[in-house]
Amino acid sequence: MTASRISIVLGPGVTEIAGALPLVYRDVDLLGRAGRPDRRFFLSVEPGEVVAAIGDEASGVEALGGLALGLAAPATGSVEVFGVPITLLPYYDLLTFRRRLGYLPQGDGLLQNLTLKDNVALPVRFATDHRLREVEARVAQLIDDFRLRTIAGLRPAQASEEDRRRAAMARAVALNPKLVVLELPFVGLTSRAASDLLDKVSRADDGQRRAVLLTSRDLTPSVRGLVTRTVRVVDGVAVEDKK
Amino acid sequence: MLRVLINQIRFTALQAIGLVAFLAAILAFLVISQSIRQLGRFGAVDNLGTIMVVAVIRELGPLLTALIVVSRSGTAIAAEMATNRVMGEVTALEAMGIDPYIYLVLPRMLGAIVSVATLMVLFDGVALVSGYVAAATNGMALSRYTAIVLKTLSAKDVWLTLVKGVFFGASVAVFCSYHGLAVKAGPTEIPQAVTRGVVATIVAIFILSAVFVVIAT
Repeated sequence: MTASRISIVLGPGVTEIAGALPLVYRDVDLLGRAGRPDRRFFLSVEPGEVVAAIGDEASGVEALGGLALGLAAPATGSVEVFGVPITLLPYYDLLTFRRRLGYLPQGDGLLQNLTLKDNVALPVRFATDHRLREVEARVAQLIDDFRLRTIAGLRPAQASEEDRRRAAMARAVALNPKLVVLELPFVGLTSRAASDLLDKVSRADDGQRRAVLLTSRDLTPSVRGLVTRTVRVVDGVAVEDKK
Repeated sequence: MLRVLINQIRFTALQAIGLVAFLAAILAFLVISQSIRQLGRFGAVDNLGTIMVVAVIRELGPLLTALIVVSRSGTAIAAEMATNRVMGEVTALEAMGIDPYIYLVLPRMLGAIVSVATLMVLFDGVALVSGYVAAATNGMALSRYTAIVLKTLSAKDVWLTLVKGVFFGASVAVFCSYHGLAVKAGPTEIPQAVTRGVVATIVAIFILSAVFVVIAT
């Protein structure tokens, strides 16, 4: 990584390579079997692409989200986000860098002692230097976009699974990230709700498509229409890659 | 974070006022009643101030207050942190670029420090009043009681109480948060984390008390 290739300085020690792909998995061992070089995972996500990684529990797809966010380090290979080997970043640089990414963890990761509205507001309040009025405006916009107005004051335990997922997805795109990673986002949702949410999440604030990587067991036809690429993962390896 | 801080102070300090005041009153009443009787046999009632200030105000008050806070709020902090970890909330915070130690631990630590220091001052105030009640029931006049206590009580006792409040409060939050956040296996580990957090805090508070004795003397 030469200095001339570093185009944007995001913070001390945190950089982005100009023109780099949003997300690249290279030679990654998803299942913790370092002795099997034939079982390595390769995947790159292009800007504006909605990639679905499909696989069962034993396939290793569940590891993809944590690796993309730098929450886990691959035993072999590397994961690059916007050209940055994310696992090599120091902890506080990593926190800063993650503000450029949206993430829906498996389940939903909502804070149980906050209302859905406060959950949506969390990244805007704590990961930006916005003024209170700007925070309120952004949260109000997200609440409207994700149709949370009537249930915004509920705690996660009081809301339905679909409403919780809506709030979690609104939170994932609160900072208008260029890349969103969704872990099993459609579990327990109707196909209509799933396609509605994926459509919202895949559109950036300026209307452009953002890069999305989602993991799933399978895709319903309504969701399949929004996915630009499907990668089937079996035993830690991408065995099928369809556009 | 401000909301967490206010809630922490409300739960740790405000809701514990009754218990701390009650225990302070009982402790001071018992200690002073017994002391007056025993010291009176040797004509050493003037040493009552030393017992009140050294035993109750300087040592037992901070210790008992900290133990009350550990049992009420330390357990809650450890359980809450462990639940946050198990529910994936800590990971979610980190994924959003929010430092969980700043968001979860710092407001609880500040809340615990403010609460413990405040409760210690309350404890001391109630103990002094209760000590007078005990002295009065044993025939001592208010003026004499006040003179005896004020002869021993110094500014050092006040700042020592506040410094102890800072250290004891920080210990409650830090040890209980640490053990809560260290949970990995799942919900069944939460009670163990609470136990570990409380035990570690109690040990730390007793060690700190000993250190303060050495420093203060």
